Amino acid sequence: MSRHLPAILFLLPLFTAISLPLIGLKYSAWCRLLAYLALFLMIPVSIANLVYVLQNGPIRYAFGGWAPPMGIEWVADGLASVIMVALSVLALVCFIFGESMIALQLGTRMVYLYTLILLLVAGLTGMVFAGDLFNLFVFLEVAALCGYALVGVAGGKALVSAFRYLILGTFGASLYLLGVSFLYAVTGTLNMEDLTHRLPQVMTSKAVAVGVLFMFLGLGIKMALIPLHGWLPDAYTHAPDSITPFLASMVTKVALYGWIRIMFWVLGAKTVLYQIPVLQLVGTLGCVAAVVGAALALSQREVKRMFAFGGLSHIGIILVGISVGNQTGFAGGVFYLLNDAVMQAGLFFFAGVAMYRYQVFTIEDLVQLHGRPSWLVGSLIVIAMSMIGIPPTGGFFGKWYIILGAIEAENYMAIGAVLAATLLTMGYFIKVFERVFRDSTPRPEPHQGELSSPLRGSLVGVSVMIIVLGVVSDPIVRFLIDTTIPAGF
Amino acid sequence: MFEIIEGWLQRPNYITFVLLFLWGIYIMVTRYNLVKKLIGMYLVQTSVIFFLVTTSAKQGATVPILLSTTDVIQPETYTNPLPHVLTLTAIVVGVATLGVSLALADAIYKKYGSLDEEEILKRLE
Repeated sequence: MSRHLPAILFLLPLFTAISLPLIGLKYSAWCRLLAYLALFLMIPVSIANLVYVLQNGPIRYAFGGWAPPMGIEWVADGLASVIMVALSVLALVCFIFGESMIALQLGTRMVYLYTLILLLVAGLTGMVFAGDLFNLFVFLEVAALCGYALVGVAGGKALVSAFRYLILGTFGASLYLLGVSFLYAVTGTLNMEDLTHRLPQVMTSKAVAVGVLFMFLGLGIKMALIPLHGWLPDAYTHAPDSITPFLASMVTKVALYGWIRIMFWVLGAKTVLYQIPVLQLVGTLGCVAAVVGAALALSQREVKRMFAFGGLSHIGIILVGISVGNQTGFAGGVFYLLNDAVMQAGLFFFAGVAMYRYQVFTIEDLVQLHGRPSWLVGSLIVIAMSMIGIPPTGGFFGKWYIILGAIEAENYMAIGAVLAATLLTMGYFIKVFERVFRDSTPRPEPHQGELSSPLRGSLVGVSVMIIVLGVVSDPIVRFLIDTTIPAGF
Repeated sequence: MFEIIEGWLQRPNYITFVLLFLWGIYIMVTRYNLVKKLIGMYLVQTSVIFFLVTTSAKQGATVPILLSTTDVIQPETYTNPLPHVLTLTAIVVGVATLGVSLALADAIYKKYGSLDEEEILKRLE
């Protein structure tokens, strides 16, 4: 039974998603409960999966019983299981927030929204466990299609952003598929494990270099690495407040995880293509993204857009961490990825509540928050501390281990980039707090009644999670070093 | 130089792929009409699928089904079925994408009364 846990983790949201519209025809009141139940069940199942993997080693799940490399295989190793636990917890928290938020915005049509969200979670689960390059492509597209639909779900300006997201996202997926077909043409296999054995003999082939480049470009668009981020700011800004946390905390991070999988488990950490070490190239691009993203965030007026650029900068920092080329840096990068997923969810929870209740759209509007309930301002402070990297929050320790790894590797560009990004992040949060704490003229009263407790609970819960991640960061990072490090370090 | 061009002409399928791919990107970048952008996007997708399928092409080969159980199996007489199977999945993904994109284009048209990107952006202001 335990061997089937990865498949169960995927089938749980998938079957719920498919059956919800049917159940919704007659018993639409049940749908909400069922969606909650499926997402809630994912947490114990993913934890059971992690425990099983830790005790018995990686699960290699051959679908249909057909042995890889001919059959399709899923791999649940340490890294995948850890990411899966984070994914299922965040999915539930984002769902609690988004569901109570969007009920206020959308009204009807909720059943289809549940379906889309559950399908998104199923697609992301598939991406996490995929042990096959083409399988990764399929789940990339399943998740992305739900993403396009979710961005456009509330209509209005978001439709145009969703359309742009769709065009660029599909272009990225096509590039990825092109890269996969190059690798397939050279090696004759799609299985990641099999590729690691066959690639070294053909490393000098131009097709491998071009294929890897295309795959990186494709996933780069999906994870919104800085020069390829065109779709993200608009999509995050205009998407419904309840949907943005899903996109910000999970979709880009899982695409990034897909690239980690390819870079370390397929290519290997020491790969050199045409005299260019892949790790160094990715690290340099990460440095650029970290600094440029934070600098662009500093120049934004709209709150949600500013946070979106902050997230872009963090994608860069994660890439810097994983590509410094030693265990400390890699574990720091993975830890920062987990932290960033929580922080991004929290940031957009905050933006959603501020926007919905206090009509905060631009930086100037933040004066509205002066003297507002302490849980709102308090969680903003915690999230901001983590975004900047002030102890005892998780963000600090993530950056700490990344910088330790960079010092170990004597990679001073990486240290400089992380520090510069930190300073710039501090810059835009100073802009935020300057407005929040400025005593302002009498403010109009918030137009709606009391905020529902799920909104408050999820925001406070995320803040607590950030602190907890910071306080227990040492055991977590040691655990990550023990369980998730790829071969070759 | 001459050899390079000769080498290229040996692979008309790759030339077709490159032309289709670039043509699709060109349409996506230069056209303002949303449906034309979609056509460009679909062309890019289709060109990749075309490339994938041509990698399995072999002269004089046939479908990978054994016609007799007693003859010696000759690999050169069978094509590789895997790219075709992958292509099928990629086509399904492409169709789903097209469905979502047309629904979005339709919703945009109903909302803004136009499919011209510049006009929509003007109305967004």
